[in-house]
Amino acid sequence: MAAETAVLQLQGVSRSFGGIQAVDSCTFDVPPGVITGLIGPNGAGKTTVFNLITGFLSASHGSIRLQGAEILGLPPHRVERLGVVRTFQHLRLWNKMSVLENVLLGCATPAGENVFSLFMRAGAVRAEERRARERAMEVLQFFGLADRAPELAEDLAYPEQKLLSMARIFATDAPVLLLDEPTSGLDSESLGRIVPLVRRLVEHGKTVLLIEHNMELISELSDQVVFLHQGRVLAAGPPAEITRDPALTEIYFGV
Amino acid sequence: MDLFLQLAATGLVVGSLYILCALGWGLIYGTTLHFHVAHGAVFTLAAYYAYAAQKLLGLPLAVAVAGAIVAAAFSGMLIDLLIYQPLERRGAIRTTLFIASLGLLTLIENVLAIIFKPDPLRMDVGWLGDSVQLGPVFLIRLHLVSVATAVVGFFALMAFLKYSRWGQAIRAVSSSPEMARTVGIDLRRVHLLTYAVGSAISAPAGILLAMDVGVEPYRGTTFVLLASVAVIMGGIGSIPGAALGALFLALLENIGVWKIPSEWQSTISFGAFLIFIVVRPRGLFGRKIHSAEI
Amino acid sequence: MTAYIAHFLVMVAIYSILALSLNLLIGYSGIFSLAHAAIYGIGAYASALAALKLGLGFWGGMVVAASVGAFASALVAIPSLRVAGDYYIVASFGLQVVVLAIFMNWTDLTNGHAGLPGIPRPRVFGLVIEQPFQYVFLAAAFAVFTWAVCWRLTNSAFGRVLQAIRDDEIAALAMGKNVVLVKILVACLSSALGAMAGSLYAHYITYINPSSFSLHESIFIATLVILGGSERLAGPIVGAFVLLAIPELLKFLAIPDTVAAPMRQIIYGGLLIVFMLVRPEGILGRARHGR
Repeated sequence: MAAETAVLQLQGVSRSFGGIQAVDSCTFDVPPGVITGLIGPNGAGKTTVFNLITGFLSASHGSIRLQGAEILGLPPHRVERLGVVRTFQHLRLWNKMSVLENVLLGCATPAGENVFSLFMRAGAVRAEERRARERAMEVLQFFGLADRAPELAEDLAYPEQKLLSMARIFATDAPVLLLDEPTSGLDSESLGRIVPLVRRLVEHGKTVLLIEHNMELISELSDQVVFLHQGRVLAAGPPAEITRDPALTEIYFGV
Repeated sequence: MDLFLQLAATGLVVGSLYILCALGWGLIYGTTLHFHVAHGAVFTLAAYYAYAAQKLLGLPLAVAVAGAIVAAAFSGMLIDLLIYQPLERRGAIRTTLFIASLGLLTLIENVLAIIFKPDPLRMDVGWLGDSVQLGPVFLIRLHLVSVATAVVGFFALMAFLKYSRWGQAIRAVSSSPEMARTVGIDLRRVHLLTYAVGSAISAPAGILLAMDVGVEPYRGTTFVLLASVAVIMGGIGSIPGAALGALFLALLENIGVWKIPSEWQSTISFGAFLIFIVVRPRGLFGRKIHSAEI
Repeated sequence: MTAYIAHFLVMVAIYSILALSLNLLIGYSGIFSLAHAAIYGIGAYASALAALKLGLGFWGGMVVAASVGAFASALVAIPSLRVAGDYYIVASFGLQVVVLAIFMNWTDLTNGHAGLPGIPRPRVFGLVIEQPFQYVFLAAAFAVFTWAVCWRLTNSAFGRVLQAIRDDEIAALAMGKNVVLVKILVACLSSALGAMAGSLYAHYITYINPSSFSLHESIFIATLVILGGSERLAGPIVGAFVLLAIPELLKFLAIPDTVAAPMRQIIYGGLLIVFMLVRPEGILGRARHGR
């Protein structure tokens, strides 16, 4: 994979927590328009990598480039505005807000969020809010949640909450989506609903990097796999290759 | 120069009271994460307990002091038991706890103001009131007792946390409540214990104040908030940090009087606080607190 | 009797402004401030001084008050809100203490404990507001204005962001919201509005001194917000009505002054505890924001 075509490039990224090397000179590329799966045993540093990319943690060494521009060290809200947005393993929905509001918070409403224009340009704010609501409903439609729009996020069933967490980042129009375990905790029926949706994200021109625990799902879900172990990249390549490698399977299942 | 030494000595004496107050508040905050402003009420209560025991019950000074410390420890535990624990059982957010604590502080202070009147009340200290001269510095014996109490209090608390089984449980909860729970530590009991210890260690500060310049019903508020400043400057969760922060504040306030009129003392402390959190938000030795952990 | 009722209503309007503005912080942003009385005082002193020393009129004084209030708030909000919520409690207390020290000790400017007498009555559109009942309309107009500003702020994309920050700050950050900036902005707006209440008070009472702006007053304003219910716009107004009525009712009981003042505080403190334990959502209860 040629470096210049990668959307996101991690180069020698390291981070330790009080002596424990959580991520150790991690280097990999995320190519555009495909799904890259990040796998590895528990404690491999997968979520830490997400936190480093999205600015929730700072790295001690290395570089993270988005379309060639350094984003390491930027605060999370800046990273989002540059086009990288994530979900959380524990979803972190705004539980006391409605499903619609959760998605609206992903839609761009710069005029309505600006105190000055809020009072001085009421017309523009109203038009923007109307557009945002239309957009939010489209997004909810896409994720099959349109009929749940007025309900509180906490009243949704778990699989639907999971969908909502993806809907709200999809609404941002960011080209790079980071999904932290989109399939964990789901039964087979909900999986049948979510897996094709994740695939359809790519059809909408998104680049996806996702953390996945289920070795069987990884071939179905991703086009490229990065295998992380003890904070290091052990292997990268097509899913079939990785899942068939006995050495990696051994590490993964801790035999 | 003599004036400077005198001010530094006064700072040290006031600092011992700040230290005791900050040790107790910091221990409670670091362990329970409760912003326990009602600690100010416990501090004042201790002083009034001791005053009442001596003046109204006619008990000897030492007995009155010991009884007041025990009573203060129980007061702290009662606050946790009757207010914070029910709130936590219901999953109240931290702001709710803080508001209840603030309400309690207001309530207790004003009950004291009605019972004891708002004017300062002094205990009789007998020969402890005799003056002593150390070089150019004039103090009274009681001031030396204050400093000694702070020193003893500090080392006793450090030893307690390090060597006793209960102290270790407190430290475990302080560094990670989740982890402590998984190894089978009962958080509620540890909290209760923390309130007992934290209140007992701050009680002497209130009592010493009543013995020296006298106690007023509303003194606790200033003390507890200065303690919180000291704890943040020292680093949340760090006992030596809390002591150092408190000492720093007291010296700053008192030596500041050299050049700045005394009515600006509190302005100096809070100015220092604001500068400090810009320069070093996690304090001297501590961890930063997050309003939400990832 | 009408003058008595008019006075009561003016004070309800002024405290409604204070409570509405503080509610932007406590209720909508989850930030607890102990400095709202100081901000109120800054507004009062700034517009009083603007009138007495600079000869500024009512509106000019109002603008000065709001600006100074917002500036003072920014001074503590910028360092402390950068870090975490609890720091703001301490920093706002610091602001309260420092501002009160300035009122009491910077005697050249503030005249210390003696306070500032002779603040002119406001002149609004050529009319000098002198009668208490006239003042009711002026104060009520400002309360409505404050209510409208708060309504707009909270029922908009901005309000949505505020609620998102309060409910889950990390999620708000991840979704590209500039959490720190929004918090600082809200602190400044809240203070600008609170300072306007101070300006209104100074021109109404015509004499101010530091005792009206103590820490107890800050706690009292917070009690108004919490009692009324911090998640509804009408909540603080209900809180102001109820809590201002309590001391009036206490007047009917023959309690000596030295007891009445602490007695009021005991009631406020007790209400805070009881409401937190029994009814944390306040008198009006929790509003559903979903629609």
